[in-house]
Amino acid sequence: MADFLTRHTKDPAQKKLDTARGRGAYEGFRRALAMSRQEVVAEIDASGLRGRGGAGFPTGRKWSFIHAKEGQSVYLLCNADESEPGTFKDHHLMTFDPHLVLEGVAVGAYAIGAHRAYIYLRGEYASIAETLAAALREATAAGIIGQSCLGSGYDLSVGLQLGAGAYICGEETGLIQSLEGKRAYPRVRPPFPAVHGFLREPTVVNNVETLACAARIMAEGAEAFARLGTRQSAGTKLISVSGAVERPGVYEVEMGYPLMQFLSHEAGGISGGRRLKAIIPGGTSVPVLTAEEAAPLTIDYESMLSAGTMLGSGGMIVFGDGTSMPHALLRIAEFYAHESCGECTPCREGTGWMAWVLRRLLAGEGRPGDLGLLLRVGDNIEGRTICGLGDASVQPVRSFIRKFRQEFEALAPLPVAFPAWQLHGHGPRTGRFGPPVEEAAQSQPVEGPPDYVL
Amino acid sequence: MLTSEGLEEIEATRAEEPSARHALLTALRVTQRERHKVGPEEIEYIAGLLGLSPAIVEGVARFYDQITASPTGQHIVRVCGGITCYLSQSDRVAQDLKGFLGIADGEETSPDGEFTVRLVECIGDCDHAPAGMLDDRFVGPLDERALRTISER
Ligand SMILES: Cc1cc2nc3c(=O)[nH]c(=O)nc-3n(C[C@H](O)[C@H](O)[C@H](O)COP(=O)(O)O)c2cc1C
Ligand code: SF4
Ligand code: FES
Repeated sequence: MADFLTRHTKDPAQKKLDTARGRGAYEGFRRALAMSRQEVVAEIDASGLRGRGGAGFPTGRKWSFIHAKEGQSVYLLCNADESEPGTFKDHHLMTFDPHLVLEGVAVGAYAIGAHRAYIYLRGEYASIAETLAAALREATAAGIIGQSCLGSGYDLSVGLQLGAGAYICGEETGLIQSLEGKRAYPRVRPPFPAVHGFLREPTVVNNVETLACAARIMAEGAEAFARLGTRQSAGTKLISVSGAVERPGVYEVEMGYPLMQFLSHEAGGISGGRRLKAIIPGGTSVPVLTAEEAAPLTIDYESMLSAGTMLGSGGMIVFGDGTSMPHALLRIAEFYAHESCGECTPCREGTGWMAWVLRRLLAGEGRPGDLGLLLRVGDNIEGRTICGLGDASVQPVRSFIRKFRQEFEALAPLPVAFPAWQLHGHGPRTGRFGPPVEEAAQSQPVEGPPDYVL
Repeated sequence: MLTSEGLEEIEATRAEEPSARHALLTALRVTQRERHKVGPEEIEYIAGLLGLSPAIVEGVARFYDQITASPTGQHIVRVCGGITCYLSQSDRVAQDLKGFLGIADGEETSPDGEFTVRLVECIGDCDHAPAGMLDDRFVGPLDERALRTISER
């Protein structure tokens, strides 16, 4: 296990500024303040840090896109929305080392020339917001954040904003909209946030873990980070593992760490002595891996990519044998149908359709050709939407059906007199956790997976 | 309509932010916390408070799941129905919990208005599956003991 970020998270006293400072908190920020903005950006660039929010975009490069014109204000937004199913690493980091997160925000803000930063947390993280607020009060009282941070002459204020329950607020432009007091409808790009972001000013959105890494890099130097990991994936990664493992939780590993070793050592093996069936390595938005596919992989961007999936958020969901993949997929598809913001048609309609067709398959009312229909609906969403949620919703559907085909085929062509589905009309709005209201009367309720694993 | 504490929170946000609109999400959250709903009356009130059109307030309010048009109970128990928790049978947990609290099938709130039980999407606490929240606190895993503690409050 690595400890670049989580060195002190086991000690509850780390939340206190005195304790944290005794261990070097804000020294990275101090070092950054002694450098020019460009030098800080160059240092982060040299470290090889890539965004930990999902897409893995190089952080130094993202910061270098900020070119404020005369009279423009620049903003740094810390993305603490963390709603990707299976992801809870930021939860851990903010709870146990809030000062590290604040330091990361300060470093990022300084590097891009922002004097105002926000941390946007999902509504469910209200208690974590309190932890951060307490840390922020301490840091402000100590002159670290506020006017003339650490006596440097650089001013920074940090705002905390809680959401109110919408996955799409994690998407960077959705986040900006929400922060502006609007519906979190993502914006069409270009213009990108680096040009037109919060208040139409140049803005950077970074994940919590990304910024925490930046703080540690400033403290220890780019070389200390670049030395860890692989060529294309520098540093460490927080993995939040859940599902059919003995020790679910958050672990920090060096990039390039073997996946199977992680499952057996860190995660304690598959629960109940079962065999591994499948893994979603980076939150439900990335393609699933079969046990055979997962066996040779390592935890880093390039290894995951070579297997046709992504490291994503590092939200690892483990399935043991006996899990019904069609049931699991239905639950995932319902998530996207529910969380689609509804702004663009392929996603709004398509996610609903995918969940609806899956539900009828599982209710024993599938039609011949339904699997093909699911894949086709997916094809019609992908690449045709305003934000990444549309594409994300397709990945599980496509990968589950292709990789666990027999389980779906066992459901598919059923000789059933199905009710009057209107294939060309508008399907009933999908209910949240059950069949649509209109349909409920006609179909059997969907039962849980026949053989639970956990 | 709101407590002075709630009003202060909204005022403070408004003072700090570039415009009243930026305090809207906070105003909605505070109102939901204190009134347990944001219905037509609350919408009118917030609109007046922030100098916004009620249509705007309503449009934003109805976008977010935690802002509800009809009243919830004094306390909300969120049971996670996300993929990990679902695989550890959280839908059954929600059913049991409703039983404990005397909430009828198809209803979310107990007859005494004390508790609302709601199945929600992943709450970011998957290592405690089946995860749950009592108001703003994470209380997973929702085993029998956790359920008893909740229902005895
Ligand atoms: C539907 C959707 C949801 C997202 N949710 C999150 C999230 O909860 N947290 C996060 O950090 N990034 C999330 N992202 C990614 C952000 O858009 C953005 O890329 C990220 O915050 C950038 O930070 P990074 O460069 O530090 O990774 C989401 C993206 C999409 C398309
Ligand atoms: S892709 Fe989906 S979530 Fe994204 S803007 Fe379009 S409808 Fe909204
Ligand atoms: S799936 Fe239940 S907390 Fe994430």
